[in-house]
Amino acid sequence: MAKSSELLQGTLDLLILRTLSLQPLHGVGVSDRIRQITNGVFQVKPGSLFPALHRLEEKGWILGEWSQTEEGRRARFYTLTAIGRKRLASETRAWKTAAGAVENVLTSE
Amino acid sequence: MTMSPLAYVRRAFRLLFRKSHVEAELDEEVRACLEITVERLIWSGVPPGKARRMALVEFEGVEQVKERVREVRMGSLVEQLLQDARHAVRVLARERSFTAIAVLTLALGIAVNTAVFSVLEAVLLQPLPYDHAERLTLIWSAFEKLGASRAPGAGPEFKELQRQTRAYQDIAGIWVGNGTLRGDPEPEQIKLGQVTWNFFTALGARPALGRSFLPQEEGPGPPKAAVISDALWHSRFGGDPHIVGQALRLGNNTLTIAGVLAPGFKLYFPPDSNVPTDIPVYIPFGGGLENRPRDLYFIRFLGRLKPGVSVPQAQADLDSVAGKLRGNYIEYATENLKLTATPLQLDTVKEVRPAILALMIGAGFVLLIGCVNVANLLLARGATRRTEIAVRASIGASRGRVVRQLFAENLVLSAVGGIAGMALGQAGVRILVSMRPESLSRLDALGVNPVVAAFVVAISIGSSIVFGLVPALEATKLSLVDALREAGRGARSTVKRPLRAALIVAEIALGFVLLTGAGLMIVTFWNLQKANPGFDARRVLTFEIQPRGSTVEQIINFVNECERRVSSVPGVETVGAISHLPLDDYPNWYSPYVPDGVTPERSKGLLADYRAVTPGYFAAIGARLVAGREFDQRDQPATAQVVVVDDLLAKATWPNQSAVGKRMSVEHFTAKGFVMGPAEVVGVVGHIQHHSLTDPVRGQIYIPYTQSPREHLSFVVKTRNDPVGIVDPVRHELRQLNKDMAISKVRPMTFYVTRAEAPVSFTAVVGATFGGLGLLLAAIGVYSVISYSISLRTRELGVRMAVGARPGEIVGLVLREGLALVTGGLALGGICAFLASRYLRSLLFGVAAFDPVTYGVAGCVLAAVSMMACWRPAFRASRSSVMNALRLE
Repeated sequence: MAKSSELLQGTLDLLILRTLSLQPLHGVGVSDRIRQITNGVFQVKPGSLFPALHRLEEKGWILGEWSQTEEGRRARFYTLTAIGRKRLASETRAWKTAAGAVENVLTSE
Repeated sequence: MTMSPLAYVRRAFRLLFRKSHVEAELDEEVRACLEITVERLIWSGVPPGKARRMALVEFEGVEQVKERVREVRMGSLVEQLLQDARHAVRVLARERSFTAIAVLTLALGIAVNTAVFSVLEAVLLQPLPYDHAERLTLIWSAFEKLGASRAPGAGPEFKELQRQTRAYQDIAGIWVGNGTLRGDPEPEQIKLGQVTWNFFTALGARPALGRSFLPQEEGPGPPKAAVISDALWHSRFGGDPHIVGQALRLGNNTLTIAGVLAPGFKLYFPPDSNVPTDIPVYIPFGGGLENRPRDLYFIRFLGRLKPGVSVPQAQADLDSVAGKLRGNYIEYATENLKLTATPLQLDTVKEVRPAILALMIGAGFVLLIGCVNVANLLLARGATRRTEIAVRASIGASRGRVVRQLFAENLVLSAVGGIAGMALGQAGVRILVSMRPESLSRLDALGVNPVVAAFVVAISIGSSIVFGLVPALEATKLSLVDALREAGRGARSTVKRPLRAALIVAEIALGFVLLTGAGLMIVTFWNLQKANPGFDARRVLTFEIQPRGSTVEQIINFVNECERRVSSVPGVETVGAISHLPLDDYPNWYSPYVPDGVTPERSKGLLADYRAVTPGYFAAIGARLVAGREFDQRDQPATAQVVVVDDLLAKATWPNQSAVGKRMSVEHFTAKGFVMGPAEVVGVVGHIQHHSLTDPVRGQIYIPYTQSPREHLSFVVKTRNDPVGIVDPVRHELRQLNKDMAISKVRPMTFYVTRAEAPVSFTAVVGATFGGLGLLLAAIGVYSVISYSISLRTRELGVRMAVGARPGEIVGLVLREGLALVTGGLALGGICAFLASRYLRSLLFGVAAFDPVTYGVAGCVLAAVSMMACWRPAFRASRSSVMNALRLE
């Protein structure tokens, strides 16, 4: 599973939302953060990352704005919108329920 | 802080090219991230060259990444649209009866709009079929003393105008008279257009064959060249390709055919210019226009503006030219001559415009009523769909998404309605064309075109918004909890009743405006039928001949002989003849007259229509003799000059006195042309409508034909039975007199009456159709709302009956509810109709725009039909059993 970017679409969205809920990030920032948090389990390639970012922006869950990086480079930073925040909460609940259910199935004798 | 000009321009530029801007941003974003990745790799110790390669590998190609982003963006949009459309079609297919009724209603509304708009587009919007038609204007002369504001001009006036104008590139003139074509196959009397040599150039029309006139052809001598119409080329010359250069025998002259006009070439002049649409032969003016009398006004001026010159600028130019004319010539100074420019197209349509606009508004009302009906249906349906919508909302569809979904359904509805409406509308157009009055002659070229198609698309989308907005917002307003709670109770609600009532009130109001409009047009038509034109068109045959003879005696003898021969035909009662037949379009003969004993001051502006008639005319046309005598054989060229006047002129000139025996100075047509001379009034006849059936334009003076033998004569033959039956014997008799004689315009007098009525009957029939449609749709609307309202109140009514209400009381209850809606609608409609009535005023005859009877009848009809629509649901409600009503819960 290690190098897989074949994440379920919903999962990738959830990861991006979660990552952005901590602070605004640009594309590389998002993928770096996901790799860090998951200890390198999920490596999101630009080919999946950018379409996902734009899809979420279309839906109005995140908002992209131009800003400066610490190194002084212009990049597009994404922030979570209010709708996105609500969405994150409900998706998290749904995920936990589903994950719990799967866990139960797998650990049952 | 102000933005620097440069930044401002850059911003404007970015806004202009937003699409490429979005692309550029995407590119910049992806590249920035690529650079950041490279920098981080370098920072962690990877050599620069290797770092870039690694980053590129990770990115799997910048372009590919961008492409995938684009796919996501486009995909979501297309996918949603497709999803909405699929869903809409599925939903509509499921509810067949709803869909059928809605589509039919919309199709009807869109069809009437398509039909009327096609007419409006062809007549009012499409430029006239001339090169740069927007630069063409008519130039009218206004003569204060003559009291004429839209008069033709004189020859010398024309030449001066042509010389002095600075605003016009070209000024041309036309006068239409009659002529006789001689030779094979048979003599033919035709309309003859006499024009200045530059007439076709000014219009921007080139002959299809040969050439138009040359400057030297409009000369001091008689005309030598002719230009003929495509129709005459085919009918008389069999479309001979070598026609140019051949001889044309016109009257006593032989001319050379210089050119043939293009097929479909027509003149579009206003009706009061007496320039007909189709003229078979044109010849240049002969005899030198500048040598004509300065006060013989007969030429219709047409001007082509220089490029870029506006009509107000042209008017200023004309004002200055008129000033010079007044300064240079005593005739124009005393007449206080003024010149007015009117755009040709605007002037041509000014009489039909109000009617077309009124019909367009009527059609709009029909569609609006239809939309209200569909909105009502949607509201009723919305109630049953609330559960579905609520569930969709609960599983994550945003409100916008649900509204869009509902609009997709509406759009599918109106698209189907629009297509059906367009097809129906084409049939409607054919009906309109078949009954069009002559003033809509441009309808010949009617067809589907992009403008009409765009209009249909626009009104289809527009109506989907009109009928869909309220129901869609209403349907999404409710909360999930409410909807689910109600779903358990059979999806009913009283929330929307006030809204639906408001829609019905609006619908009845619209219907009322339509009905009153239609009613007023029908009353106008009726009045026109009843109106006394001063003559009796029944059993009257008319035809034109050109009197032959080189002296006055010969001509008079010829006419006498014609009359004698026609009278000898079995079935003929009386025969007479007149120089200008009533309601015909031959250029009018009107001039001043001066009653004796009246100061020049008072005689200013006294104008009359002049007519030369034979003794039998008054009896044949059925004129009413008010006083004195008609003409008879006593009135000869050499005897005392006499006239008969109409009662209009008699009353205006000699109020409270008998006109018989009075003397006045009148115009005569003699061998020397038009001259003024004294005459005695010997009789007074009832006014005869000469120009329209509705307006008595001015008083009339009749002169014996023997004393004013005009070159142009219409026979009027009163018959015992069918006037058409004597056509062949009459033709036979006249041919015996002279085998070269041209007989034309053989028509029953009723032809002219019907033609004069056509504009009114057109608006009346179309208006009545719209009124009927409006009434039907409004009735359907009332029926559906009342039925729905009763279905919501089944329980309440059941309880009422359970506690002892009789069926009659239930019916009364429902009818009262209906009556309240109708009353509200009529009140609102009355106000709207009153406001709208002033636009109708110019179309009406013999009826006030706010006619209480018409309003009353329209109100009663609408109320009665609405109550009938209420009756069935009310009756059903009173019959439903108590148990049934309660069991429904």
